[in-house]
Amino acid sequence: MSISPADIEQTVVAFLTRTNKMRIDFAPDMPLYADGVGLDSLETAELSAVLEDEHGTDPFSTSTMPQTLNDILAFYDTVPAEA
Amino acid sequence: MTAPDSTVDYDPAGHYDRVTEAWLLLMGDELHYGLFETGAEPLSVATAELTGRMIEAAGLRPGGPSDTAERLRVLDVGCGSGAPACMLATEFNVDVVGITTSRVGVRAARARAADLGVTEVSFEQRDGTDNGFADGEFDLVWVLESSHLMRDRQALVAECARVLRPGGRVVLCDLLRRREIPFVEVRERRADFATLRTAFGDAHMESLEFYATAAEAEGLTVERVDDLTTATLPTFDRWRANAEEHRDAVTALIGADGLDAFVLSCDILEDFWRDGTFGYGLISATKPG
Repeated sequence: MSISPADIEQTVVAFLTRTNKMRIDFAPDMPLYADGVGLDSLETAELSAVLEDEHGTDPFSTSTMPQTLNDILAFYDTVPAEA
Repeated sequence: MTAPDSTVDYDPAGHYDRVTEAWLLLMGDELHYGLFETGAEPLSVATAELTGRMIEAAGLRPGGPSDTAERLRVLDVGCGSGAPACMLATEFNVDVVGITTSRVGVRAARARAADLGVTEVSFEQRDGTDNGFADGEFDLVWVLESSHLMRDRQALVAECARVLRPGGRVVLCDLLRRREIPFVEVRERRADFATLRTAFGDAHMESLEFYATAAEAEGLTVERVDDLTTATLPTFDRWRANAEEHRDAVTALIGADGLDAFVLSCDILEDFWRDGTFGYGLISATKPG
């Protein structure tokens, strides 16, 4: 069983809201960086740490940086949930 | 880790509005780094030396043209509290327009000019990356330690180039990124970077090479590229000393947390200066006539 996509999305949305980066038109396929949400490298590092704290692992520490929420969800889809 | 604090405005204009009065006590009247020859000079001497290096790179001469019709027009992008603009107008007989996105900065700069009786300066709330002036309006564009607070540095350089008349010159000095910082390192050192953001706002540094390339891309001819990292290093000692000396007054302005973040930021930046991550530099370029 994988980690719930709803939980992941809630974590990401909560982070974006807390950091004033949440856009009204935010969508899972919106780029997280320039021309999208606009996260800089520090904000991305902070999101990475929040995901790891809350879900035990994070996709930003892999070799391929996720570009969208869909990419983040796809990563967690392959991660088994903790017992 | 400490969660990002959405109650704090990291936007440069909002940040400057909040900290300007405290920074005058912490960083001195000129609100920028110092250039130290021996390391023993007072901060005021060193900040004047940095301004002097900018003046030298700008090719300004004391007295300047006496004929009003020949007076040079200078655009000061990110004019801070107006000290350099007033000095340029007074000592070099030029007309200066200072711009900043900070409402408090404009007010402080206008008050300074009024106090000094300097009439050849004006200050406006404008964005350096989209300044709204006409093409070729200025003989000199002066960018002293403000570019790191602008997200779109290419647009800044493009605007500087656009408003210069042919033969005009742009001089810029600022904090620099001296190497690429891998994402894994940003993640590991995020607490340090977050402290810097708390103290100094939402800053992003570029390399001297970036500014040189950007200037050339806008048709400018790069004349001078100086790495001033070593000579600016003692600045952090002086800022810490000012924090100690003005502890009560600064705490009243930005709170104990704000003061603590500033002092910790001095330590962090000093480490970054020493390990080759960040530094300081100056570049000048001319617009072909």
